[in-house]
This record gives sequence, C-alpha cells and structure tokens, in this order.
Amino acid sequence: MSTSSTRSTLDSATQVSAAWLPGSLLWRVAVLSVVVVFVQIGVVSEVPLFGVSVDLSPLLVAFTGLLCGSMLGAITGFAVGLLLDLSLVQTLGITSLVFTLIGYAAGRLRELRDPQAALTPLLVGTVAAACATVGYSLFEFLLGVDAPVSLELLREIVIGVLIDAALALPMWALVRRCLIGGLAEDPRRRRRRAYTTGGLSPLSRASERSR
Amino acid sequence: MYDKTVRRRRAVLALLVALSLILLTAYFGEASSGGLHSLQNGFLTVVSPIQDGANKALKPVRDMFGWFGSTLKAKSQNKRLREQLATARKQLTEHQFDQRSYHELLRLYHLDQTLSIADYRPVSATVVTQSPNVWYLTIGIDAGSSAGVRVNDPVIDDEGLIGKVSRVVSDGAVVSLITDSEVEVSARISATGTVGMLQPQVGEPGRLLMRFLTSNARATKGDYVVTSGTVVSGGESLYPRGIPIGTVTSESERSAFRTVNVSPLADLRNLGAVQVLTAPPGSRAAALGATAASLAPSEGGGDEEGGSGQVASSEASG
Repeated sequence: MSTSSTRSTLDSATQVSAAWLPGSLLWRVAVLSVVVVFVQIGVVSEVPLFGVSVDLSPLLVAFTGLLCGSMLGAITGFAVGLLLDLSLVQTLGITSLVFTLIGYAAGRLRELRDPQAALTPLLVGTVAAACATVGYSLFEFLLGVDAPVSLELLREIVIGVLIDAALALPMWALVRRCLIGGLAEDPRRRRRRAYTTGGLSPLSRASERSR
Repeated sequence: MYDKTVRRRRAVLALLVALSLILLTAYFGEASSGGLHSLQNGFLTVVSPIQDGANKALKPVRDMFGWFGSTLKAKSQNKRLREQLATARKQLTEHQFDQRSYHELLRLYHLDQTLSIADYRPVSATVVTQSPNVWYLTIGIDAGSSAGVRVNDPVIDDEGLIGKVSRVVSDGAVVSLITDSEVEVSARISATGTVGMLQPQVGEPGRLLMRFLTSNARATKGDYVVTSGTVVSGGESLYPRGIPIGTVTSESERSAFRTVNVSPLADLRNLGAVQVLTAPPGSRAAALGATAASLAPSEGGGDEEGGSGQVASSEASG
C-alpha cells in the first residue's frame, strides 16, 4: 500500500469522527449508557456468577468505540466511568481514565483496521474486560493499596474476564441494535460493499466517492 | 481536513485523560468533607431514590438469576447445617443451665452492664447497589439519616456482622463491608475467649485475618469468631458484643503474635436485606459509642504493638 493510499484510508476513517458526533447518535449513546449503568448497578452486580460480579460497562464502552469511532468511544468511556464512580462512591477518576483509554483504543481499531470478522466483538470485549480489570487493579496498587497478587485475586480477575467474554456477543448485538439507527453508515452494508467492490477499506471507497 | 480531524481527536483524548487525572488527584488528596466528596454525596442523595425504585422493579429479574445459584448452594449448605444443628442442640441444653447460673451471679454482683443488640434500634434496609469491582467492597442501602442511620453504625444480616456505615445521606447510606481495607473489628474466638483484631486479608477478597492473638492462644478450625464489644482506637465502630462474624479456617502465621484465617459467615457477594444497628440518642449504646469515638485515633491497626491502643469496652459501666 502506498503512502498516499494509507493517508487516504486514514483520512476517510477519521471522517467518521469528523462528522462531528451527530445529535441522534449522542442521544442514543447517552440513554444506552445510563440504562446499562443502572442495570449494571441494580441487577447485574448483585447476581454473582461463580463468586464474581459481572461487569458489563467495559463491554459497553468498547463496543461504542468499535461502532462509533475513537472520539465517541473516549467520551462514552469517560462519562460511563464518572457515572460509575459517582454511583458506587469510588475514587473519582480511576474508572473514567481506564474506560476513556478503552473506548479510544476500540475506536482507533475500527478507524485503522476496520475489522469485519464475526469474532471481532468477542476479542475486543475480552481484551476490554481484561484491560479494565487489570488497569483498575494497577491504579489501586499505585494509589497505595497494599495487596499482594494472590491466587484468589487472579482467579476472580480471570473468571470475570471469561464471563465478560461469554457475554460479549449478546452485548455487541444489543449495543449495535441500539446505536445502528444513529450511525451514518451501517457496518454490515459497508462490509457487503467491500466484498462486492473489492479493493481496500470500504471507507476509502466512500472517501473516493466524496472526492 | 486530515490534520484538523486528527488534532481534534487527540485534543479530546488529552482533555479527557487530563480531566480524569485532575479528578483522581483532587479526590485522593482532599478530606472526606471536600468538594468532590460532597458532590458524590449530592449525587448519591439524588440517585438513591431512583436506584431504590429500579432495585424494587428489577428484583424479580435478580431473584430469577439468583434462584439457580441459591438452589445449588442450598443443597450443600443444608447438609452442613443439619450436622451443625445436631451439635448445637446438644450444646444448647448444657449452655442453658450455665447461662441461668451466670446471670444469677451477674445480677448478684451488679455486673450486668454488657451491651447487647437489644440496646440498639435495628433499622431494616435493602441493598440497592453493590460494586462489581474486586477492590471496592462497599454496598449501598436504602436507609439513611432520615431513618436514624449514622456513620459507624454496625450493619448485620441474618448470618452475622457484615460491616459498618461509612457514609450517610438522607435516604441512603454506603456500608463498608468487613472485607474492606478500611474496616477492622475487635473480635474474640467464641470457644476460647481469645481476643484479636479482625482485618481484611489484602489480596484475598472475601477472606479475613484475625491478628494479634497471644502466642499461646488456642484456635481450632471451625471455631466461631464473634465481636468482642471493644474498640482499640477512636473512629472505630463500637460493635455490640457477641455478633457472629465468621469461622476459623486455618492458622496463618506463628510469631510473637499468632494470626489465623477467618472466613466470613455472611455471603458478602449476595446480600439482600440487612439491618443497621442504630443507637437512639440518649441510650447506653449511643453513650458508649460516643466514648469510643472520643478516643484518640491510632496510626492504623496494622502495627505490631497490636492491642496496645486505648480500649473502650461495651462491657464498661453504662
């Protein structure tokens, strides 16, 4: 791939963000985030599976980034993190910071690679859950919680990540269904066009058309 | 266009990261009466009625999921409890006789000043929030200052002690569980009367350590650990004497002071209804609580001089 075509791909990919956050999409993301956080706090957290509380919030943030791009992913991560920290009376800022980075990274993955494999949400969800748990634990260590990494703690982290991985595909379907109406372009149609037209990223074709 | 978009994206990321770090630093550095803590309290005040409503509305869903886990757990628990019941029946008949004699002697010598749960006014509450995090061991309940709940009030469920109130708003409160790193409880091993300090086992969520036992103290697996009714330093909660906390699982280390591992009786991951033991103003419990709170705070309970701090006792004269 030549430098100019790479540039073109990046250019078109970032136009997803450049179409400066449409209002309907923002509303959808905001409502979905509030609902998921309340369901998380009110129901999901109180139903332990294998002795571990399931955490849907990293999945929500990662999938929002994966669908809507890095900018909205990062903003959603910050907002969801802040809401959780405020609701659960945790140290303000830790969850926001971790989730901001997760949302941004998921969005950048979509903008740079635009992965279309069916298992992409599963992988992204698993990595997001692992990053959220490990990132949170790291911050707790940095902030002075004097805790040796025991087998029990590792077990809880691993089980939590595995449960999140199991819930990644249903959660992806839910997030996608809620946000699809607000997106400028349906990712499924984009993929179909990529197959039929061949060539590089379908986003680059879109940008070529607009040129 | 490309540069502008990239600049904007990076600027948003930098802004959000900077905001998070500012929040983190400010929150961590300020006192519990600071602006961000007040904001959090205000948010809790506004949100707690909503959470309470949502909690009640979603209870059937939660119960449905909980039913599967509870059924499996109940089967094994049933067998264990039947064995315990048989043992307890035998002990009960023996103890009833001893207890009657004991109370007669206490009354005779005017020493019956022991603070018990009856001296408190229990306020029933429902758990409305529970942190999904392995680090934060707090729960939110739907009873607050309007119901008489105050900071440091002990919180129990049907199994025993679960924690103490750490923050209160008008219609809700946050309870720090006994496995939270900020909570420590003066406890005694029921069978031998050995007193120690119960602290969370850091890095082992859901486990407790009973520290500062004397080197010749006896502790066997299965012994019940109950509250001792004393405090070691100011700011601690004065838990009534004799509330069950957990059972001894194993010995942890043997040095100048012995340490044993304790498993909590209450299922701290699956709490539903709890009771806050509030001390009505003017009661003996409130007076003793105030005395305990007026003690000078110690430098944390983790120092090896364990037990050398000031001690206020619920057994003190009322």
